[in-house]
Amino acid sequence: MRSTPIYFLAPVAAVLVMLTELPATAQTAAAKTAPTAADWSALAKLPDFSGVWEIGPGGGGGRGRGAAPQGPSLTPAAAAKRKELQSLGREDNATANCVPPGMPGIMGQPYPMEFLLTPGKVTIVIEAYTQVRHIYTDGRPLPEDPDLKFHGTSIGRWEGNALVVDTIGFSPLTDLVANVPHGDKMRIRERFTLTGPDTMSIETTVTDPDVLTAPYTTTRTLQRHRSWTIAEYVCQENNRNFVDEKGKAGIRLDDPAGASRK
Amino acid sequence: MRTLTLVLIAVTLFAAGIREATAHHSFAPFNMEAEKTISGTIKKFDWTNPHTWIWLDVAGDNGKVETWGIEGMSPNYLGRRGWTKNSLKPGDKVSIVVRPMRDGSPGGMFVRATLADGRELRQSGQAVD
Repeated sequence: MRSTPIYFLAPVAAVLVMLTELPATAQTAAAKTAPTAADWSALAKLPDFSGVWEIGPGGGGGRGRGAAPQGPSLTPAAAAKRKELQSLGREDNATANCVPPGMPGIMGQPYPMEFLLTPGKVTIVIEAYTQVRHIYTDGRPLPEDPDLKFHGTSIGRWEGNALVVDTIGFSPLTDLVANVPHGDKMRIRERFTLTGPDTMSIETTVTDPDVLTAPYTTTRTLQRHRSWTIAEYVCQENNRNFVDEKGKAGIRLDDPAGASRK
Repeated sequence: MRTLTLVLIAVTLFAAGIREATAHHSFAPFNMEAEKTISGTIKKFDWTNPHTWIWLDVAGDNGKVETWGIEGMSPNYLGRRGWTKNSLKPGDKVSIVVRPMRDGSPGGMFVRATLADGRELRQSGQAVD
């Protein structure tokens, strides 16, 4: 083997250093690199989540109905908090004022959702309240100190045929279930699995060391409707419902500004 | 007794397929244990989110016309169950069963409607593809 001049080796060494560093910077690299044709064609090997889905009859919709009759098992402090909130006799929550419920409630609405698979990401378009969830499947880790969001921050990965999603960092304006505020450490794991040609199961497990004494798992069954499209849902279009600060619910029968002008 | 009543309401609503209203707001403003039938002429039909609103002109005993506001499920929900924005048109004569408002205001939650030609509108039932 001929000896190689040192100046020729310099770029090779630089590449080697970059390769060595790659694992540490993979998350940003993955997000900033344009997807290749191979990335796009790899999507075809994933389970077919395409189309519009809605919770089926008896599939565990609404406010947890049919999903977990027992409800979550609460710590003494959370149980006391729930009792206190219930005693206030609030007639409704902020959704009456068009504030979206956030996670996990947004996944239990009686409206459809659509799954979009692109390289490194699953996007869930949710008709209710015109909401979107962004689930990164590019290998990035969950953030250590996330901003607090209605839907938290989600990463996902494919385990066989299941999409497994972990979510942390929830807004204090969202509840775990009705009258049960979540703690700072609430974590939600969802398993999305096709169970038939047009059925999907979503198993949702909530852990929250400050609020729950055991993981709270619910399962919903969704039905695919290939002919459907996601419809517009602008909650403020003609919302006549309201709840005031004291929890009193009411309805405006007059013509509020902005309501259906004709 | 109150608990039993609430359970019965919940069971009835579930059986009727009424889920939409629970998603957006509670039933608190309506008397869910009462039904009232009102008849009149459609003034306007709001095919809007988060709820449809039927505005019905109803003649009172004194001959004075009062406009009732009747809340229905969303166009998204009803549109997947056979309704369209033309299901009710201004001028249509219609009889509507409502859950009346608790405070006595001329309003209520839609249960079912019967038009002059006998056509019946409901908002329960399975979604269609």
